[in-house]
Amino acid sequence: MRFADAVEFALASLRKRRLRTFLTASGVMIGIGALVSMISFGKGMQKNVTAAFEASDLFNTVMVMPSGPEGPSGDPDERRPAGRETGRKDAVLDAAAVAEISRIPGVRTAYPDINFPALVSLEGEEEFRLVQVVPAAVAGSKAVEVKWGRPYATDNEEGVIVSRTLARRLGTADPAAAVGKTLRITSVSIDLGQIMSGGLEGLLTGKGLPVSQEAHDFPIVGVIDVTPFGGGPSPMQNDVLIAPGPAGRIKRLPITSIWDLFRMQGGRLGYSAVSVKLGSLGDLESVKSRVREMGFTTFALADQFEEITKAFFFMDMILAAVGMIAIVVAALGIVNTMVMSILERFREIGVMKAVGAGDRDIRRIFFFESGAIGLAGGAAGCALGWATSLLINRVVNFYLARQGMPFVNYFAFPFWIFLGAVGFSLIVSLVSGIYPARRAARVDPVVALRHD
Amino acid sequence: MKMDPSPLVETRSLSKTYLIGDVRVAALADVTMAVAEGRFVAVTGASGSGKSTLLNLLGGLDTPSAGTIEVGGALVSSMDREALARYRRFGAGMIFQSFNLVAARTALENVEMPLIFAGVEKKERRHRAAELLEKVGLAHRAAHRPSELSGGEQQRVAVARALANGPRLLLADEPTGNLDSRTSREIVGLLAGLNRERNLTVIMVSHEEALVREYAQEIVRLRDGRIVAAEGTA
Repeated sequence: MRFADAVEFALASLRKRRLRTFLTASGVMIGIGALVSMISFGKGMQKNVTAAFEASDLFNTVMVMPSGPEGPSGDPDERRPAGRETGRKDAVLDAAAVAEISRIPGVRTAYPDINFPALVSLEGEEEFRLVQVVPAAVAGSKAVEVKWGRPYATDNEEGVIVSRTLARRLGTADPAAAVGKTLRITSVSIDLGQIMSGGLEGLLTGKGLPVSQEAHDFPIVGVIDVTPFGGGPSPMQNDVLIAPGPAGRIKRLPITSIWDLFRMQGGRLGYSAVSVKLGSLGDLESVKSRVREMGFTTFALADQFEEITKAFFFMDMILAAVGMIAIVVAALGIVNTMVMSILERFREIGVMKAVGAGDRDIRRIFFFESGAIGLAGGAAGCALGWATSLLINRVVNFYLARQGMPFVNYFAFPFWIFLGAVGFSLIVSLVSGIYPARRAARVDPVVALRHD
Repeated sequence: MKMDPSPLVETRSLSKTYLIGDVRVAALADVTMAVAEGRFVAVTGASGSGKSTLLNLLGGLDTPSAGTIEVGGALVSSMDREALARYRRFGAGMIFQSFNLVAARTALENVEMPLIFAGVEKKERRHRAAELLEKVGLAHRAAHRPSELSGGEQQRVAVARALANGPRLLLADEPTGNLDSRTSREIVGLLAGLNRERNLTVIMVSHEEALVREYAQEIVRLRDGRIVAAEGTA
């Protein structure tokens, strides 16, 4: 029997039972559709996160922290778990240490991760925020993407950069309009010496805090856009960026957490973290080991990227496993349909055998039938998965846009997803066809011809 | 009468037993017969005498429990499944009481079917199938489905199909069982004509004594799975 004839036989039989073919193929379509959208979602997440990391220059950044196995975190409350503070070395991450790190070959810039809480206000609207001190060199780099206006040019320029989100919350919806307006930063400061001499008692009870307030006005020179996947140890986590020069003139609460008090070494308070920008990734290991020799711990995202990739692999696996449930159901549907088909065509199989069909011919016809169901269902499933993803993407972005988030494609469709999905569907359907095809081939023609 | 030195069909001690529950039922026991090429042989007997079993064995649809079948020098009784399929395709054509046409296909497509399994290319098999339909007098009904054809027409299509790959042996299992007497005569007449013109060997199971006596050259009578008489009529 020729290949084309076997295909023709299979298609003729499928055509004859249109509704059932359609329903069975629909099962496959739904399964493949689920799988395609699941995997494309996983791939979309991975693509977005990777792109955000790459765009933010984070691979060239090493975070340096006082000794202790802590990792960076955006949440000050989680930054320093109590148990980890014990047994710390004496190295203090202060200005001298930053200067020393800056001199390590391969380091482009090193700047402390300084932020302080302050009340920021714009035209009467107020918000309580952390203000972050960022050198001009960094503010002008890829790490901080000023979308409207410009970054401050020098470390002494009186000007701040705010996030689009903050501008919105302070009543200026159009980020371009925020540029040039005046932001008032009201800081809170404490006389540290008094606390240390007076003991912690007054502080802990909340009484007798020597708090003073002072306000400074700065023009907004630039606005940065919201980065939806800009997590990680990024300098853009805070909504207000200020240059070191003007920041130095603000009296401020130098602590963001009570644990800072215990970090004091002989009255010197080190920085909680220092960002180190490298000229090239090739210097990563040497810089890290030099910094460790100084008694600090390091964290480099580049080291973590393999872990991130692994995490995404597991996420893909889980998503695929969910999609697989639908595929298994669809495969059972194919088996069911094909076994039914054998019972219905029992006599026809007998006739085909009587006029000379071999086991192999019968097997092929049934195999091609289930294959055709898989192929059609797989192709339709790709379309379904793609359309569903498009719809979900639209809806999600519609709601996120109301919250000021930029448009993001949450799904990615590399071409291999479609090829893989159709191929996989074909394989599943052929595997589903093995048992029915074998069973059809084993039909005894004498019994089949006696059958009514 | 001249004896053919090597018969086309030859069976030796052919037996077939079925296991029905725990009971062994002998459908055919110790059948030894020979049919020379070009003969028209009728097999008769009451129902349950083993006629159809014998025909199924000769046609390679079933395998014997004991004994041998040789057709055209090939040992059919020891063939594997694939070889049997090939034998059914090329060695022996079969027609049945209930015609056994595929309902979804036209007369022409039914005749094409053995050619499809033989791997004949489409244009060639269309041509050959049309020729065969013309031979059985149904050229004008080629595009009709079995349900649109009379019983006699359906059996003619079945005959054309049985001859598609040019076998030397035609096996007919009660071909007139579902037909009226006039149509029955036409069909058996068609088989007799093919037997004469093409030197086609025909083995026909029937219990219509009159037809058998008129057309068959030899009659083999079966009772309880055994040959009780073999007679020549011509």
